[in-house]
Amino acid sequence: MNELPNFFLADLPSEAVLTPTVLREACLTLKRNRAHYLAGRTTEEIIRVLCRVADNWLDAEYPIRKLALAEGPAKTGFGRATIERGLDNFFKQFTRENFFALLAQELGDVRRLDEFVAAPGETRAALASGPELLVHIAAGNIPNPTLMSITLGLLARSAQFVKCGSGAAFLPRLFAHSIHEADGKLGASLEIAEWRSAEAALADTIFAEADCVTATGSDETLAAIRAKLPVRTRFLGYGHQLSFGFVAAEVLSGRSAKKTISGAADDVVAWNQSGCLSPHVVCAQRGGEITPEDFARLLAEELERRETGEPRGEVAKETAATIASRRAIYEVRAAHSADTQLWCSKDSTAWTVVFENDPRFQLSCLNRFIYVKAVRDLTEALHGADSVRGKVSTVGLAADAPKQIELASALARWGVTRVCPIGQMQNPPLTWRHDGRPALGDLVTWTDFEK
Amino acid sequence: MTSELSTFAARLRERILSQPRDTSLGDEFGALALELFGLQFAHNSAYRKICEARRLIPATINNWTQIPAVPAAAFKELELTSLPRGQRTHVFHSSGTTEQRPSRHFHNAESLALYEASLWSWFQPNVLGGFQFSAFDFQLLLLTPPPELAPHSSLVHMFEVARQKLGAKKDCFVGRLDANGAWELDCEAVLDATRTTQHALLLLGTAFAFVHLLDYMAERNLHLQLPPGSRVMETGGYKGRSRELPKAELHALITERLGVPAANILCEYGMSELGSQAYDTEIYPPSSILHPRCFRFPPWARVQIISPETGREVAEGEAGLIRVFDLANVFSVFAIQTEDLAIRRGDGFELLGRAALAEPRGCSLMTA
Repeated sequence: MNELPNFFLADLPSEAVLTPTVLREACLTLKRNRAHYLAGRTTEEIIRVLCRVADNWLDAEYPIRKLALAEGPAKTGFGRATIERGLDNFFKQFTRENFFALLAQELGDVRRLDEFVAAPGETRAALASGPELLVHIAAGNIPNPTLMSITLGLLARSAQFVKCGSGAAFLPRLFAHSIHEADGKLGASLEIAEWRSAEAALADTIFAEADCVTATGSDETLAAIRAKLPVRTRFLGYGHQLSFGFVAAEVLSGRSAKKTISGAADDVVAWNQSGCLSPHVVCAQRGGEITPEDFARLLAEELERRETGEPRGEVAKETAATIASRRAIYEVRAAHSADTQLWCSKDSTAWTVVFENDPRFQLSCLNRFIYVKAVRDLTEALHGADSVRGKVSTVGLAADAPKQIELASALARWGVTRVCPIGQMQNPPLTWRHDGRPALGDLVTWTDFEK
Repeated sequence: MTSELSTFAARLRERILSQPRDTSLGDEFGALALELFGLQFAHNSAYRKICEARRLIPATINNWTQIPAVPAAAFKELELTSLPRGQRTHVFHSSGTTEQRPSRHFHNAESLALYEASLWSWFQPNVLGGFQFSAFDFQLLLLTPPPELAPHSSLVHMFEVARQKLGAKKDCFVGRLDANGAWELDCEAVLDATRTTQHALLLLGTAFAFVHLLDYMAERNLHLQLPPGSRVMETGGYKGRSRELPKAELHALITERLGVPAANILCEYGMSELGSQAYDTEIYPPSSILHPRCFRFPPWARVQIISPETGREVAEGEAGLIRVFDLANVFSVFAIQTEDLAIRRGDGFELLGRAALAEPRGCSLMTA
């Protein structure tokens, strides 16, 4: 498949001009199509379509997948293998069981988007309804959050308008095409468009039509969107978050060390470390068989190996310059003190590991640039991360099973909203509570029926 | 201990003052650079450690381009100087309000004498080219605080040297400090001067000072027509001290509000870690009419544009990080790696911006 049909606004040639009139028409069409084709569908049917779409994506011969992998590197900046692994990990989650688990978790019963269901022992029944028109303002970093938003919107039977950042619509657009191909009627309730955020009149138009708006972006972006919404329009804002890893001393020996290093490398390589769930820092506890310094060195060796099979790809000159400038500083520090060590790719900025014998959290410049920090324990790591407290989404944890619950509890009390095994940071399950909130549950409105 | 460096500095100063535009220094540049590297390796211990860590020592280096460069930012952390503590009579700090630890470039009387010889010898032809070199022919306005209020600014030191050489009065500094110690501009003083002058004006200042002035004029809907021959020199980044404008837009506004044509607006590129400055004037034949405005250092400093990916010099027309090899940095470090991006244009460069300000892809929580 070389050419996709023109279904979505994002399919139009770049010279096509979007106007408020065009967008208002598009919103009205979406609502009409929803009423005809989507609102009456059952949850079972929607899940069936979603699973079929995912099966297609996981098929190496599926034309849209092939297109994503062929053109993705040029369109997104991610290497082919990175896109492949990121999308595969995402679509593997799309099973009937997983969707049922999500519905049960968020709505208490899988049937509640179809009919009134009473909880066991209760006479009151409840029915959940999704918004008529759901608008997503997507961030440009990585595709999965946008694909997940669309998926949740389909479960909620909402007409959806997805606004991507300029130049970031490629994979969401292909996903929309794959839905349209599997079930044209579902595709007709979905619109994908992209424009520069500066074009405010366009956003205003869709905001006026929306019942619920989700947005991902900086605090300033979210504040600006919230200020523009009519007061009764529901707003779900997901501010930028960051993540880190914690490796306990007891796993830094033998086989479990190898597994932990491999997992940490997975987390750095996934989507080139560009998402909110990617680690900036891995805190390694002192006292294990392998020292934090050695952990850093072994992680560097692993990243070098990964570069062969899953190269990072090119980055913008400014990004490369930032990486090079940061490396230069750490190289100077390393020359003067063993408390800092630096390992990095030769003749490229492809990967960088900085070891610091200093527990203070550091923001990475990402693109496979990871800090390893030696810490006494989790308490010291959290103390060092005080500057980013309240903004931490995920902590990738490697520790002995008996200790995990204690560490996870400490992380929860500190404000972390997700703890997962190291290596899985960029693979949240379908049931992931986005930034600690029920992602599907926040979309719906309940009707209680007191019999 | 540093007498060899003192001798080197005196020789270089003599050379700069006697033949400031002698491009034949080019032939000697390599030899002088290797000599200076040997001395700095011997006398600058912080620098020596960096060289040793890279396994680059005088015995293994036979070309100036191989001499290890240190990042300008390392001046924040290390004492990159050959001057013993007791001899450091003066220090220049990097500017910027957000910096917790500024760069420190130490000087003594000898190194300041060399700095002044270097700056003035390149300032004259670039900034004053075509003027009679006397304060009677034009009025100087310096949009920074005076030296006593900014003793650690290399830029203010440079302006003060120029003021003294030109015989201008002290009151031509029209900047001051606000309650927080940040630089601000006495815009009324600038406007008074522009209204009363009988001569062409020479305005020197930072880009953010010009933005403040232009904003002040815009609020009052003021348009001036500076006398014919007036010139503007702007320099430096913004560092959060005013709204930021692309250079072309800033220059267009200067033309609009002050009536100074584009041909009379020039830019300087300098930093506290360097002993020499670059200007984008065309006092030498332009390398190409296609890109007439590119920066050049004086003959005693050279520039390489370095690929951030490979660490090697980029090809003509490509972008990379600016690395400056400055013989005037006798008592500190000869080779300085900046975080500024530029395009290589012949023996000069076209400035693009600063790498560290580039927004990292992904979550943008960068605060510093």
